[in-house]
Amino acid sequence: MPLTLASTLVQQAHTSLNPASPQVRLVDQLGTAMFVTAAVVCLLVFAALLWAALRRRSGAEPVADGRQERPMKTAVLLATGVTTVILFVFLIFDVSVGRSITTNPGNDALQIRVTGHQWWWEVQYRDSLPKNWATTANEIHVPVGRPVVFELRSTDVIHSFWPPNLSPKRDQIPGNENSLWFQADSAGVYRGQCAEFCGHQHAKMAFLVVAEPADQFEGWLARQRDTAQTPTDSLARRGKDVFMAASCVMCHAISGTSAGSRIGPDLTHLASRRTLAAGTLPNTRENLTGWIVDPQAIKPGVKMPPNQLSGPELLALVAYLETLK
Amino acid sequence: MCSHYRENGGAAGQRGSAAKHLSVLLIVLALSGCKREERDFHGLPAGGTITNPKVREVPFVAGGSVPADSRPGPYEENAYAVSQGKTLYNQFNCSGCHFQGGGGIGPPLMDADWIYGSRPENIYETIAEGRPNGMPSFGRKIVPDQIWQIAAYVRSMSGLLRKDVAPGRDDAMQVRPQEQSTQKAKPVQSGIPKSAELP
Amino acid sequence: MTSLQYRYAAVVAALFFQLGCTRTPPQSDAATPAERTSTLPARVSPDTTASSTADDGQWIMPARNFASTRYSGLSQISSQNVGQLKLAWTFSTGVTRGHEAAPLVVDSTMYVVTPYPNLLYALDLTKPGAPLKWTYKPDPALASQGVACCDLVNRGAAYFDGKIYYNTLDAHTVAVDAKTGREVWKTKVGEYTKGESVTMAPLVVKGKVLVGNSGGEFGVRGWLTALDAKTGQLAWRAYHTGPDKDVLIGARFKPFYSQDRGKDLGVSTWPGDAWKIGGGGSWGWISYDPDLDLIYYGTSNPGPWNPDVRPGDNKWTAGIFARDPANGQAVWFYQWSPHDLFDHDGINEQILLDLPIKGQTRKVLIRPERNGYVYVLDRSTGEVLSADSYGYNTTSRGVDLKSGRLIAIPEKATTTGKVIRGICPAAPGTKDWQPSSYSPRTGWLYIPHQNLCEDVEGVESNYIEGTPYVGAIVKMYAGPGGNRGVVTAWDPIGRKAVWEVKEKFPVWSGTVVTAGDVVFYGTMEGWFKALDARTGRQLWQFKTGSGIIGQPVVYRGPDGKEYVAVLSGVGGWAGAVVAGGLDVRDSSAALGFVNAMKDLPQATTKGGMLYVFSLP
Repeated sequence: MPLTLASTLVQQAHTSLNPASPQVRLVDQLGTAMFVTAAVVCLLVFAALLWAALRRRSGAEPVADGRQERPMKTAVLLATGVTTVILFVFLIFDVSVGRSITTNPGNDALQIRVTGHQWWWEVQYRDSLPKNWATTANEIHVPVGRPVVFELRSTDVIHSFWPPNLSPKRDQIPGNENSLWFQADSAGVYRGQCAEFCGHQHAKMAFLVVAEPADQFEGWLARQRDTAQTPTDSLARRGKDVFMAASCVMCHAISGTSAGSRIGPDLTHLASRRTLAAGTLPNTRENLTGWIVDPQAIKPGVKMPPNQLSGPELLALVAYLETLK
Repeated sequence: MCSHYRENGGAAGQRGSAAKHLSVLLIVLALSGCKREERDFHGLPAGGTITNPKVREVPFVAGGSVPADSRPGPYEENAYAVSQGKTLYNQFNCSGCHFQGGGGIGPPLMDADWIYGSRPENIYETIAEGRPNGMPSFGRKIVPDQIWQIAAYVRSMSGLLRKDVAPGRDDAMQVRPQEQSTQKAKPVQSGIPKSAELP
Repeated sequence: MTSLQYRYAAVVAALFFQLGCTRTPPQSDAATPAERTSTLPARVSPDTTASSTADDGQWIMPARNFASTRYSGLSQISSQNVGQLKLAWTFSTGVTRGHEAAPLVVDSTMYVVTPYPNLLYALDLTKPGAPLKWTYKPDPALASQGVACCDLVNRGAAYFDGKIYYNTLDAHTVAVDAKTGREVWKTKVGEYTKGESVTMAPLVVKGKVLVGNSGGEFGVRGWLTALDAKTGQLAWRAYHTGPDKDVLIGARFKPFYSQDRGKDLGVSTWPGDAWKIGGGGSWGWISYDPDLDLIYYGTSNPGPWNPDVRPGDNKWTAGIFARDPANGQAVWFYQWSPHDLFDHDGINEQILLDLPIKGQTRKVLIRPERNGYVYVLDRSTGEVLSADSYGYNTTSRGVDLKSGRLIAIPEKATTTGKVIRGICPAAPGTKDWQPSSYSPRTGWLYIPHQNLCEDVEGVESNYIEGTPYVGAIVKMYAGPGGNRGVVTAWDPIGRKAVWEVKEKFPVWSGTVVTAGDVVFYGTMEGWFKALDARTGRQLWQFKTGSGIIGQPVVYRGPDGKEYVAVLSGVGGWAGAVVAGGLDVRDSSAALGFVNAMKDLPQATTKGGMLYVFSLP
């Protein structure tokens, strides 16, 4: 189902320890530095404790006299001083990393608005020309090497946008607008996850960020801007009628038809996506059919109800949805 | 903590402390046994209450009937379902005609006047089948379980549901008193649709 | 002369003037040179077989004439004697929704169109008590009541060539034989199951019946349609969104401002295919200039109200078109409110006048617009000559005359998830559909309007065909001063208000002005009032049975007497709380209007009565 060109992109390990953007690389460096420093300090402290526990005593009762005080005081002062210096160094390092991550990337950045819903991601590509806007769901494509600015919103509860390979997380708070930006350095498919508990299916609210070369990205975006074509195949045409007559139109939009509801994900280019249900299932005919029949069996509590379609209606519907590339 | 331990002196202090800790642990275990509602997300079947499959809109049955089933609607006591119903009410554009209960294109839903009856089955039929003077039919478009949820919410708009079931104040701009604290309006079935007054 | 002598002279002059008025035949529209401060276009009457002099005492279309002056040349009733006006007769329509129509008077018959179910009554004015001649019942679809945003109103009919033409709520246009009441043809013009309805009064120009649709709150695609007056067949249809070929934009199209020039702007100023559900209906008033051979009319708000999902200027909504009535080809366009944020429909009346501006006589149209400005446009080119505020405004700072663009105040922009307070004017604007009138004697416009502000929160908008597509929670309330209604006398040359009369409720009725220098209008409590056109002083009032939102008309009866007729029956958007029996505890009901009208149910009940007044 996904296009062959893009399927050559490899899905990367879903971890912040595998940076693919300068932002995460910086945070990773900071993290590594803190870890190494903390490890060294920890070892030193353990060593000191061991030495204090195991050193031989002189046998007699401990006597509090000036002779032991001064080296003690020096040692404590030295340790405190070193700790303070380390902390200050990290403060500066931390602030500078924070600033690098949040400084405005400039006017040629791509603008994407990601709105969190329970439990899917609405993705909107914005442009100064309204006819260049495109709306999709759960899969974000970005061009390699170009900064991308994300406006983060939510329609219901607090979500958090986090593709760990590409960016630190940022909350999506209803009624507010947050933003972050990153730049993908290498092509690949990166997984992201909602990072703020948001209800029943928080655990299955994933998304994919597909970083691809600029020309492939432009091609993808141009296709996303297109309206859906009327299918030529008769089964798919029947499927479109099923879509329009059944409950699908109450929640889903397909550009080019009279279905325009925004409650659920936009389906205009459903067949171009790699996954279904916000990263829960690979996008295959079987999974799509099973999902339509009973989403509650796969993702209980999700807002899409089980369907009452007959077998032939279901087959026709899936045939239609497969034409929505 | 340590100094307190030493002051209370030895073994006797230890035993008293242990008993206190054990009782705290037992209370915690007992409380965690409280079960959360098991939700069946597959939802209710079409028409009728969970046990009584037939929807009957009027109590007047020719040829007599068994004593009327006075069981309440399926979601009358389910706060989650009523809250879901409120969300759907706004998303499916019920609020576009009925607003937050005051009415506009459609009649008010928060007052005591019920044109076609106030029972959950009546409201279910209104939504599923539509009504002649402009209420569209949603039967094939909204699944039965969701229609029951919306019907339950509609009943809460005039204070017909219990306080602990009806929604509280929502996050949007405040335009009406919250359903929880709406005075219960004893339903009156007028039978006269406000919009059709033909000479 | 001493002041006492001045006073005697004035009294004598007034007496002579009054005697002169009653003896001489009704004056022509052209005032004496000393009084003329503007001229009407030379030809104002349509070509019709009925008697067609400018002041024949008939009323054959709601706006009175193609220039839309709503001015009667009759002067038997004057500011001197209107205090004696008495009720002559009444007629109950039997319907109790909002009555917005203007009764027509043609060939000694009065025609009244009611709100849904859109009955047409013909009353015989030659007999005492004006008995019913016939009733025509179009039987509009019951379910169409579910797609009327703002009560089940109808703004009236038009007479042409022996037939009465009007529209029904379920988007049909009918032609009824004026003598017999028999249906001549009935044409379906829209699909109510998609949210389309028709409430406007049609205009008949050069043998074509012009009809526009409603549905800006239902994601309907707006249009203006011309039907052949004889057969009801479609002559042409101009859409108001979409590609140029649908909008009938071709070689003749020469908009004055650069932002209105370009190919297929009805598509490119919208994202994706949002223009297909973009609104822009034309449910208001059409004017016609027979010399330039151009019709002028406005387009409604873009849909949905929530602007987040429709970035761009959203052409061709909230603007005014000039078109060739023969084929619908657009000649120019001007957008009152690009990317409208507040439901400021651009469909109000436009009065065609020839005015002296900066030393030259210009052919203009005057539009008291919803967004708060009285615009004066050159009606040959669409150039904005002036735009002056006539109400309290926090949403814009004026109009930049160089670019022609409304200067919006960004802090008041509505958006999803945010509550914006103090938006003035509110969604009904400084003035909604209620039409003003123009007197060539005073040279002033008489504008009935309102003073309302609102708070708005944008919410997610979901297009589900046949259901409302709005995306906003609205709460309206009175503007500064506390009076929700105003009648303003406006001097279009001096570009300012001359006098104002404040009213408690919005003045939702039209005004009419006569050669007797009397202005008539109705209030939502039910008072039918007469004001002195020159000073604004109230000269007379009568309490009718229900709030008045209709358009008063003035005619000469078969007995030679002058009569004033108006429909009483509260409703419309402003009166929905009474007409629909709404609950005042919900401030957002009726798109927020209920909050501003919580006291209306105490002031009036429903009704449906025609009142006709004359001198004793």
